[in-house]
Amino acid sequence: MPAGLLGALLLTLWAASSQFGIDFDPVRLFADLGRGREILAEVFQPHFAFFGRTVEPMLETIQMAIIAATIGCAIALPAAFVASRVTAPGRISFALSRGLLSVIRSLPDLLYALVFVTALSVGPLAGILALIFFNIGVAAKLLSETVDAVDRGPLEAANASGAAHVEVVRTAVLPQVLPNYVAYSLYVFELNIRASAVIGITGAGGIGNTLNAQMGFFNYENVGLIVLEIFFLVLAIELVSIALRRRLT
Amino acid sequence: MTAIAVTASARPARPSHAKRNIAALAVLALIVWALVSVDVELDRLINLPGRLWSLFQRMFLPPDWAYIEIAAPAMVASIQMAWIGTLIGATLSLPLGFFGAKNISSGPVSNFVRLILNAIRAFPEVVLAVVVFVPIAGLGPVAGALAIGIHSIGTLGKLTAEAVESIDPGPVEAARATGARSLQVQRWGVLPQVLPEIVAFWLYRFEINLRAAAVLGIVGAGGIGAVLSNTLNYNRYDKAGLAIIVVVVATIAIDQISGTIRRRIIEGAGAKRPVGDELEQPELVEAPR
Repeated sequence: MPAGLLGALLLTLWAASSQFGIDFDPVRLFADLGRGREILAEVFQPHFAFFGRTVEPMLETIQMAIIAATIGCAIALPAAFVASRVTAPGRISFALSRGLLSVIRSLPDLLYALVFVTALSVGPLAGILALIFFNIGVAAKLLSETVDAVDRGPLEAANASGAAHVEVVRTAVLPQVLPNYVAYSLYVFELNIRASAVIGITGAGGIGNTLNAQMGFFNYENVGLIVLEIFFLVLAIELVSIALRRRLT
Repeated sequence: MTAIAVTASARPARPSHAKRNIAALAVLALIVWALVSVDVELDRLINLPGRLWSLFQRMFLPPDWAYIEIAAPAMVASIQMAWIGTLIGATLSLPLGFFGAKNISSGPVSNFVRLILNAIRAFPEVVLAVVVFVPIAGLGPVAGALAIGIHSIGTLGKLTAEAVESIDPGPVEAARATGARSLQVQRWGVLPQVLPEIVAFWLYRFEINLRAAAVLGIVGAGGIGAVLSNTLNYNRYDKAGLAIIVVVVATIAIDQISGTIRRRIIEGAGAKRPVGDELEQPELVEAPR
């Protein structure tokens, strides 16, 4: 452990240094703490009359989250079976799908949004596409790990009865992982609410779009209200989703 | 032996699926509502595959390899941002995790701390960066590191609290019996039990934070996100393509290294299974209580 500790310490000094790193200086930071005071003061006085103009983008955020979760999880279901050791139809497709999924997962949602906004111009379509990629990554990974851990008994029984591979997966594996799949889908939807609230900053539709516009106008009281709304939306969806997931598993 | 007559009426009634069907219908209705009311023109949907393919061509066939001179240092800055951010989150979440554990602190205190941790988690890094830390620390990776650090406190604090709650009470009693003071009990009775698990959480969080650090540049927090944002704004797709390749390669490489270290921390040298992957189970990572 001392070696690991030393390594972590060196890494930290390197990352924080002004010459090789990001120039992170806590002392100076504390001295400068008052610098954002005017902006923060405005953020903390949300302009509630702005609420009416945030309703539509809020709904768009929710719509984007629903559509992306539906399509993303629909694609993730077969992808997870190909990417699980237990149900992969062959070695090559297994390795390929694993590799592709880890590439998809290594890119953050906001980056997808940035790329799709450039390609398709601003609007919810770019946001939905970005979320779909993000969702495939998360849902396929979680589900393929659940498939890895299924009870092999039904699988052997189905194989012994001479069922084709797709039938084996459908009758012996799918029923075992279905509750988890539904739970993961809900979880993905919950992540989407969080994500779709921010990917709009790139112009990908939803409340993030409004947030970005209000920041551009330096209307920090409106920004404060939007942040507050995002906070309550995320919290509400999370509570509902967790309650539902508890009942599922 | 008497034969038991099996009649159709002896079969148990089919369980009612009414609840499940109503739930499925409600979900379906939501999906239909979203599809119908979302503002997406159909003609754009038809052109979609063609446009995505042409974008892919312009980005990766081929990427501008020479641009690595700019992209690699920017990616390093993102990695440093993620590392510093994770450290901030780790340092602040450790005491909060102890205060949030029901077996260590009192009921009201732990409930209050949990509430705060959940509230922190509901503010995305990007929002924190935009609204709080770019104004305070100015444009650049320091603002990003602070946003990442504060957002991480939520999840890390909660995981720490849960790890502390599942300790073996033996060492705590032993430490008490020697007359140790409260802080000493935590240091010698609790911390050694939970530290490996918590350090594994930190490393796992570093992997997540790396992804956040790669995009925070879009809102002015420097790193590779700033490079991506600029190249795309000026339609330099081949340069953006290279930057994306750099993100993918660096992220996957760091995931592998961090995963190996996590495995060694939890299982010791020579372990095979990538332990810690189960951390990604949503119940463990995100669900508040």
